[in-house]
Amino acid sequence: MPVPWEALIPFGLVTVMFGTAGTLLNVSKRAQNEGKAPRYHIDSWEGMMMDRDRRLTGHARKQSDNPTAPDGFETSSAWYSEPAQ
Amino acid sequence: MSTFHEGASSSQPYKDPTPLPASIPKVKEVGATSAPLKSAAFFFGAYCKEYNEDFMLCKGENRDPAHCLKEGRRVTRCATDLITKMRENCLQQFEEHWQCLELNNQEYAPCRKPERVLNKCMFEKLACFSLAYAGLVKTIPGTPAGQTPVHEVEKPFFGRMQK
Repeated sequence: MPVPWEALIPFGLVTVMFGTAGTLLNVSKRAQNEGKAPRYHIDSWEGMMMDRDRRLTGHARKQSDNPTAPDGFETSSAWYSEPAQ
Repeated sequence: MSTFHEGASSSQPYKDPTPLPASIPKVKEVGATSAPLKSAAFFFGAYCKEYNEDFMLCKGENRDPAHCLKEGRRVTRCATDLITKMRENCLQQFEEHWQCLELNNQEYAPCRKPERVLNKCMFEKLACFSLAYAGLVKTIPGTPAGQTPVHEVEKPFFGRMQK
């Protein structure tokens, strides 16, 4: 008796579509985060540290373990010109 | 022609128009980003304990930034010194630990294995710097009596977030 393989085509299509969408989303998120998974549960402290990382390295997710900061780091903080809270 | 540019979208990085006056001694700021700092946090607490406590007590007196500049400079110098020493002595373990932290939302729990290796290396080397640091062991104050400290639990119940 012939097996109704045409009935499995929609399952395959849906799987491929979910898989492609998920993969593209994952790739897009990793591309925005220097190849790493995105950060989550970011509180104000973490946000402040990520802003400091951006001032040190140019990107919020790029890390460096230099002991001393590059030139211009001391004056690159906008914190002092933010409105007082 | 002059076009309007919003303040947040500048082609040059922000430069503080009112830097510190020249009368204040300069100190090179710490260049480590968040993951290496988090990895070095316990060693920073052990190595720079006096300077940290000095600074915190000074801030407790008066929150004005100008009041605690000297203590702040001392903390910065101690931190720079510690990062330099960590890199000289345990560079490979240090990098492994903070790269593990970066892959795990900078949470300590999934990175206990590299942390134990780094702790072993660092506490051996710290003892070489000064006898005051000999026999140092990482402790988490406030652990209830009789309970294993969280960093020594062999098989933690919760794993990392599913990727």
